Formats: sequence, C-alpha cells, structure tokens
Amino acid sequence: MTVAPAIEIEHLTKRYGDVVAVDDVSLRVAAGEFFGFLGRNGAGKTTTINAIVGLARKSSGSIRVFGYDTDREWRHARGFIGLAPQEFNFDRYLSIRDVLIFQAGYYGLRGKAVAERADALLERFGLTSRARVEYTKISGGQKRRLTLARALIHEPRMLILDEPTAGVDVEQRLELWEFLRCLNAEGLTVFLTTHYLEEAEQLCRRIAIIRDGKIITEQPTRHLVREGERLQDVFLELIRQAPS
Amino acid sequence: MNFNIVGVWTLTKRELIRSVKIINQVIWPPIITTLLYVFVFGMAIGSRIPLVQGVTYAQFLIPGLIMLQTIDSSYGECSSSVFQGRFMNHIQELLIAPMSATEIVFGFILGSLARALIIAGLITALGALLVHTLPRDWAMYFFVLILVSVLFSGLGIILGLLAEKFDHLAVLTTFVIMPLTFVGGVFTAATMLPPALRTLSLVNPIFYTIDAFRRSYTGQSFLPPLYSMGAIGLLCIVVLAVALRMTALGIKLRT
Repeated sequence: MTVAPAIEIEHLTKRYGDVVAVDDVSLRVAAGEFFGFLGRNGAGKTTTINAIVGLARKSSGSIRVFGYDTDREWRHARGFIGLAPQEFNFDRYLSIRDVLIFQAGYYGLRGKAVAERADALLERFGLTSRARVEYTKISGGQKRRLTLARALIHEPRMLILDEPTAGVDVEQRLELWEFLRCLNAEGLTVFLTTHYLEEAEQLCRRIAIIRDGKIITEQPTRHLVREGERLQDVFLELIRQAPS
Repeated sequence: MNFNIVGVWTLTKRELIRSVKIINQVIWPPIITTLLYVFVFGMAIGSRIPLVQGVTYAQFLIPGLIMLQTIDSSYGECSSSVFQGRFMNHIQELLIAPMSATEIVFGFILGSLARALIIAGLITALGALLVHTLPRDWAMYFFVLILVSVLFSGLGIILGLLAEKFDHLAVLTTFVIMPLTFVGGVFTAATMLPPALRTLSLVNPIFYTIDAFRRSYTGQSFLPPLYSMGAIGLLCIVVLAVALRMTALGIKLRT
C-alpha cells in the first residue's frame, strides 16, 4: 500500500495585491520525513505554511495533506496537522493546562483521554508545576514549549514548526532537538522552518530553500551540504546567486 | 465528523470562562445600572406617573431594562471577543482546527447567549424582588430574549471582524445601538409619544424587540406580537447570514 505524501503542493501561488509572496511553488514532503524549509525573512516560508494550515487563502494551486485536499477535504486535512506558530498566540483567559484541553476540544476531542494526554505533555515539556497559571506568567522558553505541547495535543501525523527555537537558550534548544528527533523516530512528519541553519543541518533529512517566493533548491541535506561544508555557507551562496 | 459539536461546546465554554474572568466588567455593571434605573426612574420619578399598560411605571420599566442589557451584553460579548481574538491572534486556534464557519459563529453566539441569559435572569429576579413583577408568558419571554441575543451577537461578530481598533467597536454602541435603544421604548410606551415620534419608532428595529418583549410581562403591546417577532426574526436571519458569510470567506481572519 502506498502512503500518501504528508504534503503535496502543486503550483501554489499567493498574491497580496501586486505582491507575489509565493510564486508557483510545488513541493512534496514524504510521510515520516524531517523536512527543512529555509529562506530569508519575507521569502515566503510563513505564507506557505499559512496556506497549508488554512490561514492564508491560495491565489492558485492546490495542497494535499496525507492525500486530502485542504480545500475540499479540509476537515480531514486539518486534523492531521499540528502547528507551532512563530508568535505566541495563546488564549489569555485560560490556564496552561486548559490551553491544551480547549485546543483538543476545537479538534472535536474531549474526556479523560484528553486530560491524561494534556498532563503527559505538560510533564514531557516540564510544565506540570505551571499547569494552573496563565501563559502570561511563564517564561519565553516555557511559552515555546507550550506551543509545541499545544500542537501535539490532538495527536497529529505532521508537526509544522515555524521557528520553534526562537528565543530559547542553548540547553533548551538541544533538549528540543532531541525531543523532535524522538517524535520523528516515532513516525511523526516534521516540517521545520528556522533561521538557525545549524538546526536544520542537524535535524532535517531534506531541505528546500525559498527565495522571493520561489523554490531555488530542494534536495537531501547530505547532497546539499557536502563533506567539510556548512549549511550556512551553502545557503548564503544560493541566496546571493540570483538577483533579488 | 459532519458537525463538530465538541468544538462548538468548547468555544461556548471558553466564552463563559472569559465572562467569569471579567465578571466585574461584564456581569455586575449591567446589574448595578439596572438597580440605579429602577430606584431613580422607576421608584422615585415613576411614583408620580400613572399606570402604563396596566402596571406601575417601575414594573413597566423592568422588561425594557432587560432588553437594554441583553442588547448591550450580546453585542459587547461577541464584538470584543472576536476582535480580541484577532488582535491577540488566538483566534487562529479556531481557524486551524477542523471547525467550519457555522460552528465558529454558533460557538460565539451560544457563549454570548449564555451570558445574556444570566444577566436577564438576574434582572428578572431583581424585578420580582424590588417591584414585584414577573413575566406572564415565559415562552414569549425566552423566545424574544433568545432571538434578540442572537441578533445582536451576530451584529457583534460582524463588527468584531470589521473593526481595526477597539474604538471602532464603540462607534456602533455609542452612535447607533444606545440612542436607538433609549428611544426604542425602554422608558416609554409608544402611546406616550407624540404621533410623529410614534411613526418614527416603526423604523427603529429596537422598538420591535422591546415592544414584543414587554408583552411577555404586561400582556399588551403596541404592535401585534407576530408582526414584531417576524421583523426581529427577519433581521436575525439577515445578520446571521452576513456573519456566516464573512466568517466563511475569512474576512480579516485569513489573509
């Protein structure tokens, strides 16, 4: 049995007025893959993610998530995705534990199993002692971990991470990397955007680079970064090659 | 999953939690204001006014005040919650979840309706305790209350989507809803108005809501109840359709 790709983007274009944020992008991420999506600020990374999760309306093109069209079969497609956005966007009226439980509720899940999963995630992310407080009372690193816990509460098949380690100290970043490796080893597809190129080099099996809304390269990390090279140098070289 | 009922219930519960967290802002003020209206207008000034629709002026006032607070609360709840969700970005939690526009709108409206029912219940209790009045027709009481709450919650969603800053939400309240509510019969029966103003009342949609609701208390109304309820129902359908369409299109929600 063939497993449908986690993400299958065909000719995605997103325009904001005269500005083309994403220009005819086609991309395929296999199920179970750890995929890096890199680019400068404003290159089109977040817009592409927003189109996948339904926060941005496509100008043209199509997106399928595990074989489900995000327009026609949006309910199925959205259920497969866990999104950890770049900005903290928690509900300020809820406690940290309720942030997880309510998010599960929006996905149609409730009951003892959800409460147990929320507690397990809080434990896994070292947030148990802060479970009853509001998110405004926790540190930046804890907020970042809460973002991940919230993305995982409904047991998605794919995790989309938009700058997951921004503002996180080195120790916590390494912990997070290990955690993401574990999740990926358990079968979760990970789609990662980051400005920490070392992070992408360490974690991702395949990398695509987007520049001015167009994919300029997409290949396995080991092909992109050859022996003795660093992703940072390859990235800068590719980004600077074509005119902006 | 054809209808995400758990999602709707979760959003409704979230709205109720929000109301409880800001109880000093959204529940007690309408109760205090109502008490002041009852004491100052109903008891002090009202004692000099003869019976209106067969009841004392203070008793006449209660249903009008319930409508006043229901309208204010329903509009305020949805408009500020939707706008705040957009402003703080936590509305994205709903937008990325498998929830349709209908489910999102229902969730907000049910939360708002619950808050309106709590406020209306408290004012009804105050009316019973202070001026000894209770609805004669409970079915009509709840029917009009729910219809009006849904209508103004829907309007709140529309404005919550359109607003660019909190100030915009107040524009409709200050310049449209409040004036129309005050001249719509909270403090006066249509028969107390000069003929020209009485005719003008017929183009004020809030007049229909108060006239129909007061009938549940006094058994009397200026317009036939079916006529008023039909008008409110029609407005309700239009407002809901617009709110649903705007949410489905993702206006100011999805880029």
